[in-house]
Amino acid sequence: MIIGQKINRRNALKLLGAGSATLLAAPYIIRPASAQSSVLNITTYDKFLPQDFIEQFQKESGIEVRIRLTDDQGKQYNLLTAEGANPTTDIVTVAGHRYGQFIDSKLVQALDTARLRNWSNLNPAYQDAAWARYEGNLWGLPILAGYEGLVRNTDYVPEADSWGIMFDEKYEGLTAYLAGDFMSITMKYLGHDGDFVTYTDKAEEARKAANEARDFLIKHKHMVRKYYDAASEVQQMFINEDIHLAQAWSGPAAKLIMDGVPVKLSVPKEGTYGFCYTLNIVNNAPNAENAYKLFDAILANPEVGAAMTRTSGFSSTISGVDKLLNDKERLASTLPQDELERVTFFSSTNRSLKNEIIDRAVAELKAA
Amino acid sequence: MRAVFLDWPGLALKSFYWLFVLYLFLPLSLMVAVSFKDASFISFPLGNLTIDWYAKVIQDKQFLDACLYTIMIAAATTAIATVIGVWIAMLIGSLRGAAQYVAFAVACLPAVVPGMISAISLRIFITTIDLPTGTVAIILGHVVHAVPFVVVMVLTRLRSMPGNLVDAARDLGADSIVTFFRVTLPYLGPAIFGGMIFCLLLSSDDFVRTFFLGGYRPTLPMLIFARVQSGMSPEINVMATLVLVVTAVVGLYAEYLTRRSRIR
Amino acid sequence: MAVGTSTADGGIPAYAAQMKYSTGIARVIHSPAYRYTLGAVAEWRYGRILLLAGVPVVWMLMMHIGPIYEMLRISLLSSYPPEPGVEANFTLDNYALFFSEKLYWMPLLRSFVYASIATAVTLIVVYPVAYYVAKVVSPGGRSRALLLLLAPFWAGEIIRIFSVIMLLANRGAVNVLLREIGLTDRPIQMLYTSFSISFGLVYMVCLYMLLPLYSAIEKIPKSLLDASADLGAGPFTRFRRIVLPLSRDGIVSGCSLVFLTCMGVFAAPILLGGPTTSMFSETISSFFHGASSRWPAGAAFAMIMLAASLVTVGLFMRVVGGSKQRTF
Repeated sequence: MIIGQKINRRNALKLLGAGSATLLAAPYIIRPASAQSSVLNITTYDKFLPQDFIEQFQKESGIEVRIRLTDDQGKQYNLLTAEGANPTTDIVTVAGHRYGQFIDSKLVQALDTARLRNWSNLNPAYQDAAWARYEGNLWGLPILAGYEGLVRNTDYVPEADSWGIMFDEKYEGLTAYLAGDFMSITMKYLGHDGDFVTYTDKAEEARKAANEARDFLIKHKHMVRKYYDAASEVQQMFINEDIHLAQAWSGPAAKLIMDGVPVKLSVPKEGTYGFCYTLNIVNNAPNAENAYKLFDAILANPEVGAAMTRTSGFSSTISGVDKLLNDKERLASTLPQDELERVTFFSSTNRSLKNEIIDRAVAELKAA
Repeated sequence: MRAVFLDWPGLALKSFYWLFVLYLFLPLSLMVAVSFKDASFISFPLGNLTIDWYAKVIQDKQFLDACLYTIMIAAATTAIATVIGVWIAMLIGSLRGAAQYVAFAVACLPAVVPGMISAISLRIFITTIDLPTGTVAIILGHVVHAVPFVVVMVLTRLRSMPGNLVDAARDLGADSIVTFFRVTLPYLGPAIFGGMIFCLLLSSDDFVRTFFLGGYRPTLPMLIFARVQSGMSPEINVMATLVLVVTAVVGLYAEYLTRRSRIR
Repeated sequence: MAVGTSTADGGIPAYAAQMKYSTGIARVIHSPAYRYTLGAVAEWRYGRILLLAGVPVVWMLMMHIGPIYEMLRISLLSSYPPEPGVEANFTLDNYALFFSEKLYWMPLLRSFVYASIATAVTLIVVYPVAYYVAKVVSPGGRSRALLLLLAPFWAGEIIRIFSVIMLLANRGAVNVLLREIGLTDRPIQMLYTSFSISFGLVYMVCLYMLLPLYSAIEKIPKSLLDASADLGAGPFTRFRRIVLPLSRDGIVSGCSLVFLTCMGVFAAPILLGGPTTSMFSETISSFFHGASSRWPAGAAFAMIMLAASLVTVGLFMRVVGGSKQRTF
């Protein structure tokens, strides 16, 4: 058969590869059951979906749930991209700042809320939020909400009501931030639009604003102990007192508070940005039907939302979760009303412009 | 008679060795100490102690399953990578001149590529050859990464192998396969052992390739990375401590067995 | 197959002589099944070449060149992964990008410096240890001495990095101890500096130096050392004239492994480094990890690093291993 075909590079590779793979893998040549109707493949964080919930869901629906643990949005994104048109996962857990990117890259499909019987169990504030609607569609099921917070060690920093404290010489070498996120916040602090929503067709203006923030941060680079990447890093730095002040996501900071570490989390007067974690159905997902069933089960069961809050420190978007948390958990993961009003959610407009400019500014900041 | 002198270089070396052991173990002993801490995050000073974390980890089915899976993958990786690595080293050893340099560079390539990139390119590659993700793909990825380490180890020793050893075997009428198994392979022993240690370590510690090539069964590093995401808790230290203790016991037992068989 | 058409030991006397050391291997190679198949191949000149080169060549073409070729291809495209409606053109821009700005080539330089320092330090620290285990410890205790050194490496990379953090942090073991005995009243900042990076790098990679050195030193005949000692050579002379030259292979491969690992290592510099120590592997992964993904540029930078690392190691091997100009 193959002889008759035109043998191109791809086929030759395939043949060669199949040969050696067969040698290596003789006992294993069974295609995984990723495309069977009774399976659901989820890529998510550890303990986001409680074990009892999964077991109950499996029993009631007859669907076998398989979970791939991830620890990082970048890896998840690259994996999906590399898999192309044949994804091995049905649901991914997308963090707020990646939402637009996953959609733009055509990696996830629009959510048809009409297929979710329990959609009304979602907190009304998230049912049709402006940030969630993109290109006319809703794309994901919001599960957790968080924001960019100012975190301080209360033993050393009594008061912090402005982002300006991050540049206070008193704390030289004792601050840390996520370089990309803090670039947006600094733009906001300097009076610009850190989320680029108003910069449609104004790339030059956007670049100028970002460069101003970059230069400001470079000027204050001596303030910084570390540009961190992972939540566990900023937690550990607070515990070890390597830093006294940081910009951090609310979830990891709330976890510290729950454990009794003397830190406080606040929204400064200049305001800040908020974001949601969403569960998204992957484009060409082999088991999209089952994904909807899982979403419905999650919405019907506030215990799931509570478990997610306990694991992540972020607050749940599902109604009724509050009642299941203890005081400490509730206090750590929710905001007072006046601070809540200062949170603007990251939007999905002008994502590629923002990403391109911010990535570049971050690289220059780190290299300075 | 030389033993009568005070053996100062020997003594200096000995103290240096123990200092080095201290350097290796000091950070780890902190890690073990913190595994008994009664809090959700690791830190100093220790404060209250507890063994609850141990109880929790020992009952954690996901952890035990991940350990078994990791061992299985590491064993397969080591077996395959050792065979291929020795084979490649034999080929390079028989080449001369520029061909040798080129072959050596090609053999080393996978060790130089950053993990993320090698993971992505392997992922694209297995799609091209139509291999599904999962155990086989993980092992393949680990083998690719481990082979250069075996090659380098084996070549180092192969270079110093006296040529007359092989010639003698040939003169005795052994064909090249027999010579390889009876003469070359035993001579390469320590290097192969070192290479196998590298394979086991590389495979059991690999995270990014496993993530990209894996299916839905986590290996130990995947599980640990996922757990670290929600905070560096003593639970993770407990896992590492258990792994350390078990490998130490297995290692000592294996050493005891080989020593006993040598005496007999 | 021609099983049973010939008796096992109708062969050459040398084989028969070996029979008393008979092992599983011997039994196999004397079986007719072997002698009419593999044995016959091994007797045939081209068969030998095929036997030696077949598997390695196929493997290296497939698994070593294949993925790298894919990466090279991506690095020459204007956009990847393919997007509907976007035409990917052949371009060298991604390579030009690297040379155009300090922002990009500076981290490579920095990686080079750190990797070289870490390699040198590791060599100096590990050599005496390897020598001690290989030559001073009695043969019976060797594997135990080696096992002790291997043990910490089973804890896994991430755990070992965090244990370094526990040691060096402001409230880490060292600072707590210094404060307890009253030497300092303010913590010394050790973490997130070039010191912690170097400390961590050496801690991560010293095994890759230890094993090659051990395997090289171990094979130096003890008789050679004893003879030179009897001729009056002091310990230093013995080391310089005998041990060092004879362990050169081990030094070369140990340094190569450590250097290559240091160049590619990702987690340690990220977790232990400070705001001014970003490395090239971080630059590369930012092209993949960043919010705007630019695979072609990342692939091009990886190719540059690949070439630079291999050339460095190649030159090093030539210079250090080159004086006797013996091939492997």
